[in-house]
Formats: sequence, structure tokens, C-alpha cells
Amino acid sequence: MTAPLLAIHGLQAAYGKIVALKGVDIEIRPREIVALIGANGAGKSTLMMSVFGRPRARAGRIEFDGHDITDLSTHDIARMRIAQSPEGRRIFPRMSVAENLQMGADATEGSEAERRASLDRVMALFPRLKERLTQRGGTLSGGEQQMLAIGRALMSRPRLLMLDEPSLGLAPLIAKQIFEAIRTLNKQDGLAVLIVEQNANHALRLAHRGYVLVNGLITLSGTGTELLQRPEVRAAYLEGGRH
Amino acid sequence: MATAPKTATATIDNGRSQSGFAAALKKALLSALVALVLFSLMIGVRTEAGSTGQLIYWTRFTELAGVVAAVFAGSLILELLRSWLGPFDAAGLIPASAEQPLKTAQRLFPLALLAFTLVFPVIFYDQRYILDLGILVLTYVMLGWGLNVVVGLAGLLDLGYVAFYAVGAYSYALLATTFGLSFWICLPLAGILAAFWGVLLGFPVLRLKGDYLAIVTLAFGEIIRLVLINWQSLTGGPNGITGVPRPSFFGIPLTPGDDGFAARFGLEFSPTHRVVFLYYLILALALLTNWVTIRLRRLPIGRAWEAMREDEVACRALGINITTTKLTAFATGAMFGGFAGAFFATRQGFISPESFTFHESALVLAIVVLGGMGSQLGVALAALVMIGGFELFRDFEQYRMLVFGLAMVALMVWRPRGLVGHREATVFLHHRTEISAELSREGRG
Repeated sequence: MTAPLLAIHGLQAAYGKIVALKGVDIEIRPREIVALIGANGAGKSTLMMSVFGRPRARAGRIEFDGHDITDLSTHDIARMRIAQSPEGRRIFPRMSVAENLQMGADATEGSEAERRASLDRVMALFPRLKERLTQRGGTLSGGEQQMLAIGRALMSRPRLLMLDEPSLGLAPLIAKQIFEAIRTLNKQDGLAVLIVEQNANHALRLAHRGYVLVNGLITLSGTGTELLQRPEVRAAYLEGGRH
Repeated sequence: MATAPKTATATIDNGRSQSGFAAALKKALLSALVALVLFSLMIGVRTEAGSTGQLIYWTRFTELAGVVAAVFAGSLILELLRSWLGPFDAAGLIPASAEQPLKTAQRLFPLALLAFTLVFPVIFYDQRYILDLGILVLTYVMLGWGLNVVVGLAGLLDLGYVAFYAVGAYSYALLATTFGLSFWICLPLAGILAAFWGVLLGFPVLRLKGDYLAIVTLAFGEIIRLVLINWQSLTGGPNGITGVPRPSFFGIPLTPGDDGFAARFGLEFSPTHRVVFLYYLILALALLTNWVTIRLRRLPIGRAWEAMREDEVACRALGINITTTKLTAFATGAMFGGFAGAFFATRQGFISPESFTFHESALVLAIVVLGGMGSQLGVALAALVMIGGFELFRDFEQYRMLVFGLAMVALMVWRPRGLVGHREATVFLHHRTEISAELSREGRG
């Protein structure tokens, strides 16, 4: 077994008195897609954000590529080439698509050639963005904004990409395109991906492995197909609405 | 061929304006009612103190009726115009054939404006008042451009900008009067000191945003002013500092003496020389501010400012250090404020805390907001309109706030994003390809 790229041990995090994570252990190995599923308020986004130090871990350890990053500041963590497409996309609405993408590359060191290469990669993945380079970010459709958020994250040539609900509020066809792009990135570029999703079906089929988060604790883990077959997963996240 | 669709739209418009009329009438009645309540005491009843101090009052119902009727009519006309014209759409109003020349004109306008400012002292050489007004406008253009870095680009609402203006002015005045340093040495020092104070303000407000930030900066501006008033031994208190040295033309004083500017260059002495020199000095300082801002916007730091204005959380996640980004914005804005302050001190020859009240902060902020946050041209135009406008209406002292208020309302209705609300992009990752709209117009796309 290869050494994990991101290893989280006993992570606890809280917003004031409200404890959101109660001791979470997660591993993401290189070239792996890991899905984190769970209901609303289970702590999925908190887990992703606390890797970035917001909120800061109360207890536990976060290691990236063997380095302890638990107490690093958010921007230093990002500069270790962990990128994220945050919840709600959070693109820069008044800036052009090109500027949004450039922002992704600004903080990480890299040559002009590398920047150009990652730009070409983003354009190849999301040809729609290419047509819209001079347009303001805020004028894009929801799906395009999601593409832009992922593209912006990719501009820093990340080693780990974390996506928070990339399919939220998107038409099924667009969501499928986004998932397809993530699969391509993983297959062709060997990018490790952590994907946080409510859409468990999609996420688990895409992922190599998955974790189920309930009330701040990991209750289940396994390969994507294993989890898809577990009756408790099916009941809670796949067929829940139909019963 | 063209008439058929036109009649069709005309019918639709008629239908809309029918229902629109009732709505407009309702709105106008509402406005009239508000006006009635408001003005019933303000205009309807006139009070005065009698000869023995008793209250005399009489009613003026005709005037009241007149004002309310005017409000009603005005509101009705405005609403009807709005519903007839539909949502304001510039694309529909400008014929396609005029678009290209209009774009060229838009591009050339700033250049023409710059050329005009360059020859301005030549044109108005004999009109001292106009020259002084030009200097005043340029001072506010510079202050506006400086504050624009903080408010327009970085999105940090700063209500205490005058503090840095004051720091710059006092830095120059004190350094020049106590140590006898020349303007050209003091100018960078004033900028550095102001930038230092900018960082000092920046630290405590790092975590604040929006309203809270505004309140703290407002307090900061007041603190600086109060310190200036009360630290008598250093600043001279309310009496200010007199005899602030005038600037020299790179070491040559602009005085009537033998070694003065006029004598050296074989000219007849004229006090206008100094005014013209001051004009070009502030113009150069303002253009420097503009140039630096434009350059910075194209660099990662400027981009980070704008991105921070849009979304701080996203910035952090992209590896942007918000602390340094905020502090550099404060420091850069403050530095330009400091330069302007030093200029102000050397121009006036006398400074006192009275010149650095909240009123100045508000005025500069109004210039930035009216100009369209972040737009350099907009800020310049807003400074021209506001400062120039104030001067134009100087003879109608009583009415100028009224006109100012009306202009503000009109601007907010028609141009809610400011005079120049358009934001120029700074990154072009690829060269622009042929615009697809042009292809589609030809039926190819």
C-alpha cells in the first residue's frame, strides 16, 4: 500500500460550542478519488474546510505528503498545492473568466510555460470556458461557474483537488459532464481527488473509495462499489426519498 | 419589411402602457402623499419669533398645494416615461453604424482629457481663479485615485481617508519647518509616513469588514484630527502651522529675487509662475498615482486586491495571503493620500486641523463611489463634476446642496454603478479571436 497523500487522524473541529467533527480519520492516497458522503449538516464541508485550517482543528492531526499541516495558515496550505472548489463555487463575479483563472495561478510558484500548460489543460477539459474568457464570471451559468471554479483550482497545478458539492444545483447533464471531467483528470493526470457530495450515487460510482460521515463521525468506509451495495447507504442516501 | 415588426411591438407597448398608467398613477399618488406629510410642516406652516419672543405662525396652503402637485406631476411623468421607454437599454438606442465610431471616441476621450489638462495652464494663464480651481480639482482627483485603491479595488470601505491626507500634510510641514528639509526630500518621506500609518490602521481592522470597518476607519480619522488639535507642542494645536515653505523648481525658488526662477530663466517675474508650477506638480503626482494603480492592477497584487473585494474566502483558498494583501492596499492608498497632503501643505503655506475634517473623507469617498468603484476615468470625472460643480454654484450657496442632492438621486436612478461602471479586464490569456457576434450577424455562426 502506498503512503497516503492526505492523512487525517482523529480530527475534531467546532464552530464555537457546536462540535462539527468528533474525531475523523480519513486517508487519500495518490491517484485516488475519494468520496465523502453524508446528509446535510453531517460535517462534510467542515471536514474539507478544516484541512484548510478554517475552522482550525481542535484536536487531531492533518498530514499532507508526510508534512504536518495542522497549524499552517490557510494560504500556506493552499500553496502546498492543495486546491479546492469551495461550496457555492465562490468565483469572482466581477472579474473576467481569464482573470478568475489567473487568480488560481497567482499564488503558486511556476514558470510561464507551466501556467500556459495548465491553462491549456483547463481549456481542453472545459471548452466552454474558452469561449467565455473575456466574459465576467458572474454572467456565466451555474454549470459554467462550477467549471470555472474547478478550472481555477486546477490552475495552481494541484496534487490534491478537493471539491465541495460540484453537482449542487446543476442540470443532470451538466453534472455528468463535471463528473466526467473529474474522472478524466484522475485517469490522465493522476490527480488525487476528494469529492464531497450529497449525490451519493454519482459520487460513489466515480470514486475508488468512499467514507460515510454521520454527525461528525465516520460510520462506514470502503470501495465505491461496496458502499453502493450496503443496505444502510442505499436506504439513507440513495432511496431515502422514495420510501 | 421593417414596418411589420414595428407595428407589432407598438401594439405590445400600448398594452403595457395601459396597465402601466394605473401603476404610475398609484406611485405618483403615493409620492404626493409622502410629499404632503413631509411638507405640511416644512412649507405649510411658517413660524417666526415675534417682537416680544412669542410665536407667530401663519399657514401657506397654496404653496403647499403647489409643491405637492409638482411632486405628483413629476412622479407621474417619470413613471410614464419609464414604462414607455421600457428598461433602459443602451444597445437599442445606439444604431449599429454608430457603434464603431462611438467605441473609438470612448477610447480617445481619456487621451483628449489628458491633453486638455496638459495645456490647461496655457489656455487659462491669465485667469488665476480658474488655475486655482484646476489645482483644487486635480488634488481631489489624486485623493480619489488614492482612495480608489482601498475602496474601489480592495473593497475596504474607508471613511477615515483624510487621516492620511493630514499625516502627509503635517509630515511635510513639520519636517520642513523644523529641519528645513526641501519639498523634494519631504515628499517621499510624507508618503512613507502616511503608508506607515496606513499599516498601523490596517492591523487592528484586519478581521473587520463592511460596516464595522467603516466605523473603525471613521474613528481613526477623528483620532488623528483630535491628536493634531491637542498635541499643542508639536502641531501648534488649532492654530496649525504657518510659514510652510513653498516648493522650489528643483532647487530654484519661485521668488522675485536674483536667484529666483524668473531671473535665472530670463523671464519677467510673475506670481503666476508658481501657480502654474503647482498645477503641473499636482498633475504629475496625480498621473503618477494613476500610472502606479494601472500597473498594480496588472500585477498579482492588484489582482489579489480585486479578488479580495469579490470573495475573501475564495482568495484564501487560492493561497492568497489576506493579511499582506489588505495591508498593502491600506499602505498604497495611504501613501498617495500622504503625497497629496504634502502637496496641500506646500500649496496653502498654512495648515490646521480644520482642513482635515470628516467632511473631506466623505467628499473623497463620494467621488470614488460616484465615479464608479474602481474606474480611474470615472473618479477623475466625478472629481471634476463635484469640485467644479461646487465652485460653479458658489454664487447660489443656498441651493448648491439641493442641486447636489438632486444630482445624487439622478445618478443613483440612472447610473447605479457610478459614472463609469464598466470594469476594464486586465488579463487576456489568449489573443482575442474574431468576435463570434460578427460571424453570427453575417449568418455564418
